[in-house]
Amino acid sequence: MTVAIDDDLWSAIGDPTRRRMLDLLLSDGAGTATSLSAKLPVTRQAIAKHLGVLDRVGLVHVTPAGREMRYRVDDAQLARAVAQLAAVGETWDGRLRRIKQIAEAIERSKQK
Amino acid sequence: MEYGTIEREIHVEASPEVVFEVISSPVHIKEWWTAETAFEPTAGATGELVFGERGTPGANHVQLTVVEVQPPHLFSFRWVHSPGKIATATNSLLVTFELTPEGAGTAVRMTEVGFREMGWEVAVLEEAYRDHCTGWDIFLPRIGEYVNQMVASQ
Repeated sequence: MTVAIDDDLWSAIGDPTRRRMLDLLLSDGAGTATSLSAKLPVTRQAIAKHLGVLDRVGLVHVTPAGREMRYRVDDAQLARAVAQLAAVGETWDGRLRRIKQIAEAIERSKQK
Repeated sequence: MEYGTIEREIHVEASPEVVFEVISSPVHIKEWWTAETAFEPTAGATGELVFGERGTPGANHVQLTVVEVQPPHLFSFRWVHSPGKIATATNSLLVTFELTPEGAGTAVRMTEVGFREMGWEVAVLEEAYRDHCTGWDIFLPRIGEYVNQMVASQ
């Protein structure tokens, strides 16, 4: 099995403002364009556009809430996105694990 | 500007001298970071990490500047600044490895400090996800597999 990089998902999550929005939606549970724009240095209109991008790649679920739309993060799709980021970007956990393996192998070979 | 930190600590069953060598020398960095690089282990030295095959469209070149070298205790560098730019606190991420003798081995403390827009969101996103999703434990091993396959295929 290989990691197929979904270009749309990748570019959706590749934007700092959208990642910030996902952070906020995760910590708040849900949010609207209005609630998000109150917490970010971006206009409500720009937030609405970003939400549209996130919606198109399935990273958020939309439900009507009065005159506004309420957004929350789709856990399964976020998991996919995180997997892609982790696979491509590699995390420090993986790097440190390999540092440990290499150093311990060298140490063992020295003691022989 | 909003700053963030990633912190990790691991124990390695090897002397600080060995660990220092692994962390700071290009020949070993190629193995643990899967990036080709060449730089002098002296403060101020600059280099480039090349992920993927050099010369191909998929190759990703990332700048690196050595900040501090105190064998075998401390190694730090800045990375991800734009080519040709001097690495500063606002255009790069500062990675510091501190090594302390621990039993017969070494305690390795790694920190990465930088501002959110530079790319540490990956880790933050993972943290957030870990906090918010109970399914993470099922998912985490799979990420490991992806990474291993990724490494194996390179």
